[in-house]
Amino acid sequence: MKGPNAVTLVFFLIAVSVIPLILPNNYWQSIFSITGIYVMLALGLNIVAGFTGLLDLSYIAFFGIGGYTFAFLCSDHFGIHLPFLMALPICAVTAMISGFLLGLTSIRLKGDYLAIVTLAFAQIFQLLLLNLDAPINLTGGVNGIYAFDMISLFSLKIITPENYSMLIWSCALVVFMISFRLKSSRIGRGWNAIREDELAANTIGINTTRMKLYSFATGALIAGFSGAVFASFQDSVFPNSFGFQQLVIVYCMVIIGGLGNIYGVIAGAVVLTILPEVLREYGGLRMMIYGVVLVAIMAIRPQGLFSAIPGFSRQQRRPDKDETGALRASTDLYYASDHQDKPHTPHDPDQETNPTPPRAKFVKQTTPVLTIENLTLCFGGLTAIDSLDLKLHKNEILSIIGPNGAGKSTLFNVISGIYKGDQGRVIYKNQDISGYKPHKVTTSGIARTFQNLRLFNDLSVVENIKASRFCRTTSFFFSVIFNLKSNQREEKETDEKVRNILNMFGKRLTGYRLNQKVSQLSYANRRRVEIARAMATDPEILLLDEPSAGMNPQETEEITQFIKTLRDTFGYTILVIEHKLNLVKAVSDRVIVMDYGKKICEGAYDDIAENPLVIEAYLGKKGK
Amino acid sequence: MEDIFAQLSQQAINGITIGGVYALIAIGYTMVYGVLSMLNFAHGELYMIGGFTGWWVLQLFSINHVPVMNAALLISLMILLSMAVSALLGLVIERIAYRPLRKAPRMNLLLSSLGVSIFIQNFILYFQGAKVKVFHVSQLIPQGIRVFHVGGVSISFMRIFVIVTCFLLMVCLTLIIKKTNIGKAIRATAQDIEAAAFMGIDTDKVIVTVFLIGSALGGAAGVLVSLLFTQVDYYVGFQAGLKGFTAAVLGGIGSIPGAMAGGLMLGLCEAMAVTFFPSAYKDVVAFLILIAVLIFRPQGLLGEKLREKV
Repeated sequence: MKGPNAVTLVFFLIAVSVIPLILPNNYWQSIFSITGIYVMLALGLNIVAGFTGLLDLSYIAFFGIGGYTFAFLCSDHFGIHLPFLMALPICAVTAMISGFLLGLTSIRLKGDYLAIVTLAFAQIFQLLLLNLDAPINLTGGVNGIYAFDMISLFSLKIITPENYSMLIWSCALVVFMISFRLKSSRIGRGWNAIREDELAANTIGINTTRMKLYSFATGALIAGFSGAVFASFQDSVFPNSFGFQQLVIVYCMVIIGGLGNIYGVIAGAVVLTILPEVLREYGGLRMMIYGVVLVAIMAIRPQGLFSAIPGFSRQQRRPDKDETGALRASTDLYYASDHQDKPHTPHDPDQETNPTPPRAKFVKQTTPVLTIENLTLCFGGLTAIDSLDLKLHKNEILSIIGPNGAGKSTLFNVISGIYKGDQGRVIYKNQDISGYKPHKVTTSGIARTFQNLRLFNDLSVVENIKASRFCRTTSFFFSVIFNLKSNQREEKETDEKVRNILNMFGKRLTGYRLNQKVSQLSYANRRRVEIARAMATDPEILLLDEPSAGMNPQETEEITQFIKTLRDTFGYTILVIEHKLNLVKAVSDRVIVMDYGKKICEGAYDDIAENPLVIEAYLGKKGK
Repeated sequence: MEDIFAQLSQQAINGITIGGVYALIAIGYTMVYGVLSMLNFAHGELYMIGGFTGWWVLQLFSINHVPVMNAALLISLMILLSMAVSALLGLVIERIAYRPLRKAPRMNLLLSSLGVSIFIQNFILYFQGAKVKVFHVSQLIPQGIRVFHVGGVSISFMRIFVIVTCFLLMVCLTLIIKKTNIGKAIRATAQDIEAAAFMGIDTDKVIVTVFLIGSALGGAAGVLVSLLFTQVDYYVGFQAGLKGFTAAVLGGIGSIPGAMAGGLMLGLCEAMAVTFFPSAYKDVVAFLILIAVLIFRPQGLLGEKLREKV
């Protein structure tokens, strides 16, 4: 794993050890401390909103929960005086548990709805803070709670503003390291996948509900932690510090820095805390400016202000130029490099000149691995799948053809768990998987591609495939944050596995393409990434939904060979939906024809091609 | 016993009044959501601007809190101008903050509308101050008809006026949506914006119209509430917006009759809650209702369940 940006580390070290000692007065010292708190807050929000794409508007409430918990535990208010080092984790964990519980109720809601529910929670929290001073004084009402215990770390007393600056920035460094480790880990990749396309993330084996919940709780944990430090620093807590305005300020920091961009977010937090102090005479305009900033950035640079500055984000090489700067066409490059390097896989175009193609290691067997019994699914009045029976044998390539609207893709959606059939069963290796959620289906060994491409568009080719390894790896928060041996080993394995899979596609997806965003790829290449992504989940069965759509004849020929290779050499069992009949003819052991949700015919390609029912379904009835 | 009954009827009337207002706000949310599938966070601010416009008009046309013109004329002027100003502002917001983001991810749109909301709120705070603006309407209504007593229930003239106005506005809207050509275009666009465009509907014009109508109704709601409670400040839009949204969700977002029903329902629930809890917890009740609806029936009470298209 690559370490964090050296400049940022140096910045943090200076912030902890040098800046507190050279600041001119207490006023700037406190600004500096507040900056550190905002850096923590922004980094925490960045995990929820940036990494995972959850619009969490109750984030500031967790900051408040941390603060108030600290007030309860370290003051005369209830007469509890816990030592700081004991109170701090309690505050953070209390906030995390609140986040977890809140998430449990609302995490299934999509985008805007989640935003509104969390906003409602934040409002309730504020109202409770304001009103729970009677009949029993819990929160101290508008005035809040003040005068906390002096804090000490072991025997070290934290008294002076300098001490506080150092403490706060050390905490910020810790939060930064956690945030950094998470981002480039299995967990971070899972979160990113959810942000890009939740359904696709689910179908590559990520338990999206649970991962979103973890993200929510992690954010809350960091917010609660910052809240406790903040309360101690301010020596008081009152509702106004945890209101909507604060939330907007933190959001502005994250958005200016660029959602998901750790370095940018830190810069955003620093700039947005220091700048208003420099421009204090315009203080009244502050919030107004925040509003304009939000609108302007969303319209002009939604990726944040810092992404163009070197060091803040990964720089893209110009894909259409080689090292010398000469322009090149991607197909030229592909064929040119093929003649230099020996092929990695047998499906290379060179094969045509090769008189003896490699013998198939795997051939169709008779044991069924996937059985569908009497499956029916209705959408309102439309019967999309009508009592369908199907058997898929081990190492078989079974094609499903049929006119548009015949229910082919719907069938895939049922198998992969996106839809649930009204009747009937889907049995995979003696196991009824009909009620499984998509991620469980994938983990059991069935992976799919989508007809209309659902890649993680903002991620690179490698990241797309790596995300698929999520369901086959196990590193969790502890081993990721401390980068334990097990995590390092797993990361290495993931890298290797991903490279192997990408190499199967010849030079199509390797070289400079590895780090290209998939949204910059050609349509055919995106199809290949879809297949690679499905393969990376280590499936036994591959469901390919129109793998050759949008490909030219040459590319279709190539993908045809590739599908054969997948079975012949690598032993996948394949169920494929396809419209191009020459592909179907070339690859299939068996073909099933569907029309109006029913199976109308089944058999070898040559047999069904003659079948009058099939001709009727495609061309209509013959006139008399 | 009779006491409780009187109290409950009193609360019911209060609930219907405020519910009508919520319905007006909810319609704005629901219409915009219908055509753009976006949540217009700034909608509550249009309500606030409506209230402020009313106050400005009242200030302009009264000397020492005594109106210089016919009271009925002044109130109509307040309402019409509030609607006009809010509608105009709605158009500007759509043009500047939303149209450039038509193709962007939903989260960006939401954040942009959040930005607009904060801007407007603080713009008013900066130029009008945080102090509550008081409507001196005591001179507007003749002495004899200010309050009516029916049984143990007292109803102010303003309250009746607000209920009637809300009702009239909703009838107008329903007629526009049901009977006119532009209404048909709005319904078509809400069903499928692309298909509507292919059928020759200028969807940009429809979107503008939707913002126009929604914002105007929001503005009307603002001035009506301000007249009723005789005050407005820069922060009212935030809460009102949340309530309006709650009402829209309650009825099923995207459905105009749903918004109307949801508004009334929310108003009644809140009013009833006040009879049982301290009034500080009124909003807590409203938000809990919102959360419960979103969790257990996200399509709303009148909405249809949609299957996500894969």
